[in-house]
Amino acid sequence: MIPYLIIIPLLGAFAMPLMGLAGRKAGELWAVIVTLLTFGVSIDVFNTVWKKGILVYTLGAKSPIGKGVDFPVRIVWEVDLLGALLALVVAFVTLVVVVYSIEYMKHDTGLEKYYTLVMLLEVGMLGIAMTGDLFNFYVFFEITGIASYALVAFRNDTWEGIEAGIKYMFAGSLASSLVLLGVVLLYGQYGTLTMAYLSKMITGNPTFTSRVALGLLIGGLLFKSGAVPVHMWLADAHPAAPSSISAMLSGLVIKLGGVYAITRLAFSVFGGGTNLRTLGWVVILFACATLIVGNAMAVVQTDMKRLLAYSSVGQIGYILLGVGIGLAAYGSEVGNVALAGAIYHTVNHALIKALLFLIAGAVIHNLGTRNLNELSGIARRMPITSFAFLVGAMAIIGVPPMNGFASKWLIYESSALFNPLVGVIAIIGTAFSFAAYIRVVFTFLGRPCERVMQAQEPGKAMLLPMLILVAAIVLTGLFPWIISDRVMLPAAKMLENTGNYVSAVLGGA
Amino acid sequence: MSEERGMGIIVETIARATIPLIGIFGAYVVSHGHLTPGGGFQGGATIAGAGILFLIAFGLGEMKQHYNKNLYSILEGLGGLAFLGMAMLGIGVAFFYNTLWHNGPIFNGRPGTLLSAGYLPVMNIAVGLKVFAGLVSAMVAIASYRRWGK
Repeated sequence: MIPYLIIIPLLGAFAMPLMGLAGRKAGELWAVIVTLLTFGVSIDVFNTVWKKGILVYTLGAKSPIGKGVDFPVRIVWEVDLLGALLALVVAFVTLVVVVYSIEYMKHDTGLEKYYTLVMLLEVGMLGIAMTGDLFNFYVFFEITGIASYALVAFRNDTWEGIEAGIKYMFAGSLASSLVLLGVVLLYGQYGTLTMAYLSKMITGNPTFTSRVALGLLIGGLLFKSGAVPVHMWLADAHPAAPSSISAMLSGLVIKLGGVYAITRLAFSVFGGGTNLRTLGWVVILFACATLIVGNAMAVVQTDMKRLLAYSSVGQIGYILLGVGIGLAAYGSEVGNVALAGAIYHTVNHALIKALLFLIAGAVIHNLGTRNLNELSGIARRMPITSFAFLVGAMAIIGVPPMNGFASKWLIYESSALFNPLVGVIAIIGTAFSFAAYIRVVFTFLGRPCERVMQAQEPGKAMLLPMLILVAAIVLTGLFPWIISDRVMLPAAKMLENTGNYVSAVLGGA
Repeated sequence: MSEERGMGIIVETIARATIPLIGIFGAYVVSHGHLTPGGGFQGGATIAGAGILFLIAFGLGEMKQHYNKNLYSILEGLGGLAFLGMAMLGIGVAFFYNTLWHNGPIFNGRPGTLLSAGYLPVMNIAVGLKVFAGLVSAMVAIASYRRWGK
């Protein structure tokens, strides 16, 4: 089933101009059908990987190994539990966002291009999650990047859309050229692009070039994940994009193109030939800076979407912290728990932040303002939306009945065991995050101001996606330890076991 | 609307002569992608060059009469679909399995001849179509963007 994860959304994107001719409704229906089918396929892939372990798919032949040689010559797609889990989340959030867009994008023009770009964004992210080939990874990384530049600037009649789009595109192209340079150096040194085989080569012969390449790759990918010294594009791009796109950018793009790629490269490619302790500490330093700066900047915002964007930066800090500890304490129980927490938080934050941005979109769509000072008392007129926001805010701070609790707990626990100072920083970050969100919640619950009195609940097509996400957050929050033990810890174990990743492609060779 | 007019008569006459030549050469590059240097992207970009020469030499007004937005966007979509369709032909073995070359009815001639590379010529044509339609559409869209000062 693995190739259909790419084929279906790609078919959807290519056929969109034809469907667009049949009218607006046909285009929307087509987009919903395509994303629904993709979601179905991703469930199947996840289920298969969960039961059977790593899946390998070779493009163009049965086996990745070339004729008469003992190394892989073809593009392989290699899906382990982490990749399958992220593919599932990507397909789910995209489906929700597409349904939401039907009503949210009602007043915009050029919608067949919008849906084409959304489906291409999905293709890119699913490809990143699946691929086992370094250059193929770069291609999907660029598909994701270019689709998101275009989507950020989609409302090109607003000055901020254009400004954020240009900023994001210039800096993003620079970052992805760093990634390309890293790929080039690795190819020049080792003569292969298959991740599994490359991992074997690097383990056997770790050179200085491979370290330079690792530095370039991590540098480019930290940019895409919005880690602190290079997070400035995120705080502009997320508020300027249409809210449905902010939900995808914040929930998915920064994780697939950034954190997931770092994790995959660090563990699966460089796991054997690099000093993981040093690499882990580098990631931890960036993570701590990201945690503090992102969450602290969220407190002082008056723009609702900007607040959510900075909060995304802060939450990326937690995920990076988990990954960093997973690297620095590689092979120990603490490292395993931290990595499981990072994976868990990636999934949870994707759901939570998608929900919060969809709510922000509903508020803006209704009232035409993102300024928190003008939104007081919105709960009086939009009770369901405000309730959904309350759930999202509780989840992101990590209040027990919601899903954010368990994942943050895993990260706190492991960071405190790893190094108490890092644990303290993580707690301080959450304190800031709490302050930011409690302010918004109080604004929503306050005395209604004049502007808010004309507000009303959004229609069904916007409420339904929000309620689905609320249900997902609450339901997964009810069984945190079951999910952690049965999905997240095995995913972390599977990721740490580089040998299995390599031999799945090379067949023990 | 001075921008919409073309250039002088010399340029227009020479464009009339060269546009077909550029187009034919582009088609050659596309169709021989599996035998000679070049291929879908290079050939498609060459043909798009003919379109852009038309746009510049005859002006936007003339171009708008010969350009249909829907047609070009459908052509671009069809290029993508044809590529995907070729990649799907051998899905029984693997995605991108070149079943036309291994056991397909045509396109499996002696290597070096025109019909010899399985799905490659078809993919080249699909990519060429996509690149041509995409580049021409992009150039027309940029050329017909709102004017300065309006």
